[in-house]
Amino acid sequence: MWSRPSGSAPHSPIRCDLPDAQEGDRPRSKHSIVFDPQRCVGCVDCCKACPTAAIRVRAGCAVADPDLCIDCGECIRWCRHGAMHAATATSADLRRFKYTVALPSLTLYSQFGKDVEPGQVLKALRSLGFDDVYDLSAMCDMHASATDAYLSECRGPWPKISVTCPAIIHLIQLRYPDMIDNLLPIETARELAAKLLRRRLVAEKGLGPGDIGIFFITPCSAMLQSIHHPEALEASYLDGAFSIAEVYGPLLGAIKANGPVENPPPISERGLLWAMAGGEIAGLRNANTITVAGVRDVLRVFDHIEEGKLQAVDFIEAYICPDGCISGQLTVENRYAARRTVQQVVRRHGRQAGEGAAVPEEKVRAMLQEHFFDLEEHLQARPVRPLGRNLREAVARKREEERVLAELPAKDCAACGAPSCAAHAEDVVRGQAALDDCVFVRIERLQEAMASTKEPVHD
Amino acid sequence: MLYAETFQIRGGDFEHGGEVATRIKSICKDLGIRPDLIRRLSIANFEAEMNVIMHADQADLSFLVLPEAVRVVVADRGQGIPNIELAMTPGWSTATPEMRARGFGAGLGLPNIKNSADEFHVESTLGVGTTLTYTVRLA
Repeated sequence: MWSRPSGSAPHSPIRCDLPDAQEGDRPRSKHSIVFDPQRCVGCVDCCKACPTAAIRVRAGCAVADPDLCIDCGECIRWCRHGAMHAATATSADLRRFKYTVALPSLTLYSQFGKDVEPGQVLKALRSLGFDDVYDLSAMCDMHASATDAYLSECRGPWPKISVTCPAIIHLIQLRYPDMIDNLLPIETARELAAKLLRRRLVAEKGLGPGDIGIFFITPCSAMLQSIHHPEALEASYLDGAFSIAEVYGPLLGAIKANGPVENPPPISERGLLWAMAGGEIAGLRNANTITVAGVRDVLRVFDHIEEGKLQAVDFIEAYICPDGCISGQLTVENRYAARRTVQQVVRRHGRQAGEGAAVPEEKVRAMLQEHFFDLEEHLQARPVRPLGRNLREAVARKREEERVLAELPAKDCAACGAPSCAAHAEDVVRGQAALDDCVFVRIERLQEAMASTKEPVHD
Repeated sequence: MLYAETFQIRGGDFEHGGEVATRIKSICKDLGIRPDLIRRLSIANFEAEMNVIMHADQADLSFLVLPEAVRVVVADRGQGIPNIELAMTPGWSTATPEMRARGFGAGLGLPNIKNSADEFHVESTLGVGTTLTYTVRLA
């Protein structure tokens, strides 16, 4: 079950504008999603939306199995009652550091309409109370070069799959454990940017590495979770995250107040595209690539990969959210408008900067030799637990599950609290639910009971 | 035998190609079969399923769980394979241009199944049909 907030902990904004400190507002579990039983009405929207069938509605309240939750945030996206939220950082987290830096997801640039420049967003972000802000687009640019270099020397297994979306990593660990080696062993641009930035600040400002707090501005719960529990790092180079939604209001005000920015920082248009699905592969030299986004499509494509199809493809960029990070559940702007904004900004910058705006190749080559981009630790599979402790027990339960499923109405109505009849059948054989939690089974049993107690009818 | 399930596959049914392989994969995960073995079995199942769809009228694909192995028997009603040795040659295919346009017919079906499995057997009678049997050992 997700951790529940121990006190009522409303998110209110820092140093003045960012969320305020509340003891115990941190999830106690390894997940980033906090669940508010006061707001849950016991509908089954989240339960049906969850790609790993982790959620059940029990006693009128949603609960999630922590072993199955991949922090994708689909429950946050679909909940109409605000019963789930992401446990982001607070102003107290900022006060732990002498020097604070905001590292916004590139998605942040897409949230304020087509006329607002990335430079304006960065300046406004700084005015919220960070000592410094850092643009991620240049690192995405370098990341693309590193990916190309890796793909040209890699010997498979094919296709390689991007690790940008942490929910995708979790999904593979859980549901596609044999595809672990398909994951691209290159660290994410956000972690690499924080690593580089911390090095630079230590050298330039004489700060200790622990004095610097680098905070990500995140479009989703999955990236937030990856900071507190990274999969391929002992500890994240980031110190926490605020959501785009919670900084949106203060930022919008600051952007308006500041007006246009003179001498904006250089932005890589190849990097800017990373905010949306298709952006990561757009910057690659290797064109033998695919983008897949959205829960259902991702599951389908991963099934294909597991069956040995798509081996002729070199690289797959995959996102749980339907249009990449611009459709993250912690964003504000609708994703179609956000996509247009990214495209317009890229077009403007493409005209202004032209060729040569990218990071010099020699620099990337030197960093490659230093293994700067490599994942620090091996990703591990965490397969779903089987039905039994051994093959015989599992087979016996599988047969039982099939018998139970045959008794269920195949409506997948979720009234029992499980997302589908198949999930309910599994719960029954695992001893986590009763067959007659199904309303159809219950009605049938009641009718049978009534029929058998009736007096026989005589003419 | 611990468990058996039979699935029907229709020739020409490209729309549902791969669904049987996916269903068997899901059963194997529930049974706790090792991921690398599931993957090998899935690759073989997918190839076998597509072979039926491309070349046969229909088939029964039976999935059997034995104490120490999983076995699949694919018995199709179809034209049969005139020359099994030739069909086992990588790159050899009778696929029509239409099938090739869909990305099939690379001539790797049977060789792929053989490579993915620990045991492989094929029997064919011209004008009647073909039966494939392949096994992946669990130990």
